[in-house]
Amino acid sequence: MAKSDDCIHILQGLLVFGNVVIGMCGIALTAECIYFVSNPHGLYPLLKATENGDINAAAWIGIFVGLALFALSILGIIGVIKASRTLLLVYIILMLITFAFEMASCITAATHRDSLTPELFLKQMLDRYQKSEPANNSDSEVTKAWDELMLQNHCCGVTGPSDWQEYQSAFRLTHSDADYPWPRTCCVLDTQGLPVSLDGCKLGVPGYYNSNGCYDAISGPVNTHAWGVAWFGFAILCWIFCVLLGTMFYWSGIEY
Amino acid sequence: RPHSLPRHVGVHTMLPLLLLLLPAAHGIAQLGYRPALTTEPLLGGVTTGSTFVVDQPRCVFNDYGNAVIWLVVALDQAASSFNNTERPGSSETAFQRFPDPVRAYMTLNATLGSYPCPKPEGEIAVLRVGSETSCTEDVTRPTCNGPLPVPGPYRVKFLALEGSVPVAETAWSVPITLRTAKPFSSTSTAGSGHSADMIAITTILSILFAILLAGLVAMLFWGSDSCGGSSTFSKPESVTVRRYNTHHVYDQPAARL
Repeated sequence: MAKSDDCIHILQGLLVFGNVVIGMCGIALTAECIYFVSNPHGLYPLLKATENGDINAAAWIGIFVGLALFALSILGIIGVIKASRTLLLVYIILMLITFAFEMASCITAATHRDSLTPELFLKQMLDRYQKSEPANNSDSEVTKAWDELMLQNHCCGVTGPSDWQEYQSAFRLTHSDADYPWPRTCCVLDTQGLPVSLDGCKLGVPGYYNSNGCYDAISGPVNTHAWGVAWFGFAILCWIFCVLLGTMFYWSGIEY
Repeated sequence: RPHSLPRHVGVHTMLPLLLLLLPAAHGIAQLGYRPALTTEPLLGGVTTGSTFVVDQPRCVFNDYGNAVIWLVVALDQAASSFNNTERPGSSETAFQRFPDPVRAYMTLNATLGSYPCPKPEGEIAVLRVGSETSCTEDVTRPTCNGPLPVPGPYRVKFLALEGSVPVAETAWSVPITLRTAKPFSSTSTAGSGHSADMIAITTILSILFAILLAGLVAMLFWGSDSCGGSSTFSKPESVTVRRYNTHHVYDQPAARL
């Protein structure tokens, strides 16, 4: 009896500890997803314009899942300490539902991340940047987002300024190749926002135009975002799996 | 007997004299310089869709301080048939009528003073052919340096004119072809398969979820009596009497022995 008492107490202790960790991870997940949803790098218009689903959806689900995990962990702790069958059954079922949602969020984040290739952004940029008759609001937002991106990261195009030379684009329809081999935002600008040397920029003299592509500046934050949601969520889910198994075992041992 | 008859003496002395005079009359010096696309420094826009960049002819026309140096831009096939006596600014060399019917035009005129020799260190001495967009339709500016209308190939050379007399020319450049923009093919935007990470996440999570569901089912249908016996325990607050072996039970086996 003393032995099984100890076992019980150890199991209870483990379950309480497991739930405490789940609670903390839930808060962390909520905080992380709020950070991503707040669009710190200004990439949201570009991501929204890619029609392949929405990586933000995974982050929104993550916020609510995190809060649910925190609430459920408190319920779990109470249920374990009181050894209440109903509380623990409710806990287990709700936790399974939360598990399913978080699973969906992780898989969405991972799948969407895979679809964000350079070609996707190149097509979007060529089709929409500085489109003369913006079909809808998102076109002008895409133009603004690209301008911001190129100004802040001192980059040009997706793989480089040669994107504007190699491919036909909406930009090329309204801007002649001789005057605008690439957009003016690709030039090195002075404090007034004017090119330091317009001729140098048009010629492509190193130092007067940005010769590197913007894909790294896009994929860096997007990767962090996607893997933050996907892998952190995966880790939490593995932990929840263990705690749930322990809880089920504990539940099945409680007397009516 | 001598071959030359006295009657033909005049002709035979005239002929060499005429032959000597001919080069002097068409005295175009063939300079060894060949214009080329700029390679130093490496420019991002050395050829674009309608422009290209060649080096300035520094230290090439040193002996022609009085001449005006023109750039002749010709279609590749028309280069060999270009006549050096063509006058710049005429309708036969007007940019606005290029490439049809005019097959070679003259532009970017400059004097030797614009090309000082030697080139100062660090200076970028280039000529951008096709940079003037304001005069492409302006027939009053036949020497316009307008954007090239077709991808080429083109050949260029420099021609020095004193007045309207050509005095020196460089060799023709190698054929220069401009860049052509192709439409972006969207075949490669389709997802190129899924990464290993995503497959791993999906598989492992699915298995875990399946195990949990199975555990839930097992728990609900068998949980009440499967783990009975030693692992069953009771709620703390409802315990009034714990199960224990009575003294009476211990006595019986001892009695049997």
